[in-house]
Amino acid sequence: MLNKIWASLIILGISFAFAQDVHDEVYNTHNNGVPLQFNLLTSDTSPQQLILAANEYKLNATLKQKQKVQIHLDTKSPIKFHNIALANSQKNSLIADIVSQDSSSITLILPEIHWQKLRKVTQAAFDTAEFAVKLALGLIGIMALWLGLMQIIEKSGLINFLVKFVQPFLSWLFPNIPKNHPALASISMNMTANILGLGNAATPLGIKAMQQLQTLNHNKDTASDEMCMFLALNTSSVQLLPPVTLIALMGTQVSDLIVPIILATSCSTLVAITVAKIFAARRHNRA
Amino acid sequence: MQQLTAVIIPLLILLIISHGLIKHIAVYEEFVEGAREGFNIAVNIIPYLVAMLFAIAIFRASGAMDLILNALRPLANQIGFPAEVISMGIIRPLTGSGSVGVLADLISTYGEDSIIVKMAAVMFGSTETTLYVLAVYFGAIKIKRTEYALQAGLAADLAGFIAAISITYWYFS
Repeated sequence: MLNKIWASLIILGISFAFAQDVHDEVYNTHNNGVPLQFNLLTSDTSPQQLILAANEYKLNATLKQKQKVQIHLDTKSPIKFHNIALANSQKNSLIADIVSQDSSSITLILPEIHWQKLRKVTQAAFDTAEFAVKLALGLIGIMALWLGLMQIIEKSGLINFLVKFVQPFLSWLFPNIPKNHPALASISMNMTANILGLGNAATPLGIKAMQQLQTLNHNKDTASDEMCMFLALNTSSVQLLPPVTLIALMGTQVSDLIVPIILATSCSTLVAITVAKIFAARRHNRA
Repeated sequence: MQQLTAVIIPLLILLIISHGLIKHIAVYEEFVEGAREGFNIAVNIIPYLVAMLFAIAIFRASGAMDLILNALRPLANQIGFPAEVISMGIIRPLTGSGSVGVLADLISTYGEDSIIVKMAAVMFGSTETTLYVLAVYFGAIKIKRTEYALQAGLAADLAGFIAAISITYWYFS
C-alpha cells in the first residue's frame, strides 16, 4: 500500500503539472508575446527612471540600451510579474522589449514563460530533498539527549520499576512483548510525552521503543505487529493538550476546542487500535 | 496542565540522574554511551525522509490538490459539507507544515470564530502527520516493509476527520 501511495503521489503530481503546462502552451494563458501598454510617468531630472502605470498597480523601471527596459519588482508588484522573473531565473527584476514609446505611454513585450509548473515541481523536489536532510540532522541533538538519559534509566534499574507499573495496561495492546521487557517502559514514556504534548521528547522515546521492539523482531526489514500497533498509536496522536502550533495560530480560542479535540482524538485512537488488531489477527490466521 | 508540562521534564531529568547516582552508576559515562546512538539514528532516517517528503512536495507543487478539491466541491456542497475542510483532511496526513498553511489560510479567510476553522483546528489537533511519523519511526530501525501500519494510521486519520467534523458540529450548535 505504501508503495502504491508513494508512486501515485509522484505520478499524479508530475502528470498533472505536465497537463497544466500543455494547457498553458496551447491556450497561451501566460500571454506570451502579447504586447502590454502602460501609462508612462517620467521625471525630467532623471530621464532613465520610468514609472509604468496600469489600472491597479505601478512598476518602477530603468531604461536600458537597445530598446530594452528593466522592471524592478517589490512585494507590491502583481504575482504575474514575479512568476515571469522566476521563470527567467531572476529574483526581483525582469527585462522587457520596448515595442513603441511616446511621451505618455509605452508598449512592452514581457519575457515568455514556458513549463512553469514542471519547473516548480522540479524545484520543489530538489528543495525538499535538502530539507529532509536538515530535518533528520536536526534530530541528532535531542535524540542524543534522550537516548543518554534512557541509558542511565536502564543501567540504574529505574526502568524495571516503570515496566512493572505499566505492564497491566500495555499487555493487552502488545501481547507479544515478553514480561518485564524494557520496550514497555519506552512505549509508556513515549505515550506520556504524547499525552502531555511534549513532541520533543515523544519522538526520541518512540524511536527508542522501536529499537527495543526491533530486538524482538524476527524479520529485521519487516514491521512486526507490535511495531504496527505502536506506530498506529503515534499517528493517531494520543493527547490531552492541544499542540503548540495550534496555540500559536489560534491564540486563546484554543481553550474552547480542547474538549472536541480530546473527543476526536479518542475516536481516532480507538479506530487505530481496532484496525491494527484486526490486521494482526488476519496476519496471524494466514500464517 | 500548561504548568505541569513546564515542570515535568526538569523533574524527570532530576529523578533519573539522582536515582543513577544513588545506584552508583557512572552517570556521565553511561549518558555519553547512550547518546552516541543519536547520530546513527538520524542518519538512518535520512533516506526514508527524503523519499517521503520529495513525493509529497511534487504532489503539492503540481497543484493536483486544488484539482481534487475543485472536483469534490459540488459533491461536498450537495451534502451541506464545507469543502474547505476537505483540504485539511487530505493534507493533514501528508505534511505538518502544509496543514499549518491550510489552517492559517482558513483563519485569514473565515476568522477564528467560524465553524469551518474550528473543524479544521480540531482535525489538526486530533491527528498526526502519518507519513512523516512512519518515515521517521520505521526509518530509524530500517524497516522497509511497513505491513499494515500505514492502513491503520490512515484509518485513524479518516476516523479523526469524520469525528472532528461531527463532534465540532454537535459541540458548537
